[in-house]
Amino acid sequence: MNFLIRGAAIAALLHITPVVVLVKRPDAVQALLPGADAYVAREVHLSAADAHRLHEAVDWSPEDGVLVFYGGMAGSTSMGALEFVRVDTPHGPIEVAVGFTPQGAVRGVVVTKATVEMKPWVLEAVAAGFTDQYRGLKPGGAAPAGSAAIAGRAGNLAAYVAGEVDKGVARALASYGSFYNHVTP
Amino acid sequence: MLYDLRRADIRIKWLVTGLLATLGLSYVFGAVMVALYAGFTPQRVAATYAGPEMSMTMPPETTVIVQRPMAMADFAKPEVHTVDTGLLIQDTHVHVPMYGLIAAALGVVVAGLSLSRRWALGLIGLLFAAPWLDFAGMWLTKFASPRFAIVTLAGGWAMGVAYLIVAALAVHQMWSSRERS
Repeated sequence: MNFLIRGAAIAALLHITPVVVLVKRPDAVQALLPGADAYVAREVHLSAADAHRLHEAVDWSPEDGVLVFYGGMAGSTSMGALEFVRVDTPHGPIEVAVGFTPQGAVRGVVVTKATVEMKPWVLEAVAAGFTDQYRGLKPGGAAPAGSAAIAGRAGNLAAYVAGEVDKGVARALASYGSFYNHVTP
Repeated sequence: MLYDLRRADIRIKWLVTGLLATLGLSYVFGAVMVALYAGFTPQRVAATYAGPEMSMTMPPETTVIVQRPMAMADFAKPEVHTVDTGLLIQDTHVHVPMYGLIAAALGVVVAGLSLSRRWALGLIGLLFAAPWLDFAGMWLTKFASPRFAIVTLAGGWAMGVAYLIVAALAVHQMWSSRERS
């Protein structure tokens, strides 16, 4: 009986809660590609060698081996690009939108989805300003450090979820740096 | 038989009733969650678990790019909730132990019911077969054919039907049977 009770408690603790939308995708697009009035989806179908290279760099393989970037234009002027990256955590998935300026630096980061369980952690981390730390990062430059930035100012779980967002930003930086402009359609 | 819910102490009957009510509540919200994230039709279940992986064969020899224009409205299109292999591994890992414990708890209730041995064995078998069918359907849908979505649906319905049978029999025998102590 004791085994059953312990097993039930462990299973309940490990149960992954449903994913909820924190920021709708159109709102994230408007925030990360301000001024854009036309958009293009750029699907990069990775070869096995490139997929392996990306995996070696950031320990990640995009779903179905396809990276999807969204470019924004205002007339004929590029307003930059953004990428939605999913990070699987032991508490379920989160989705991070990472926007880039036309010069290739991070313009901003928005957490668009999280599980019900992680939502308060994300909100606390956002309130502590962890996404500000990503602005200006460039591929090949400093590593994302949103978690370290709020470690003393927010709770452990907020810092934990910021660490998971760090992974998402690192993946976006690596994939954008290697594949957004370096492969021509 | 020493363990008979009809003649059990009132405290045991109250415990079993509380267990059944609590599991019933979780089953209702489980059904709501299925409706929100996967659906009750074979098509929607197949879209959730088969996903684009079914049509993906091999990566291209060299990296290729496909571009298409998008409107802002395209970003607002409702997304189909999909479960990829990694998430299915995680789901299986965390759900199956819980389903096993629920089946065991309901199986203990069945053991205290006044049923023929054959019916009791069949009901306990159904309690454990349902989650097996549920997850076997998900894996087969992903890696064999989207047609196996029907197996997942069968597993889900079997779980609900088995619970209802156990709950109805237990409540009836504990609280309505003439043989109660």
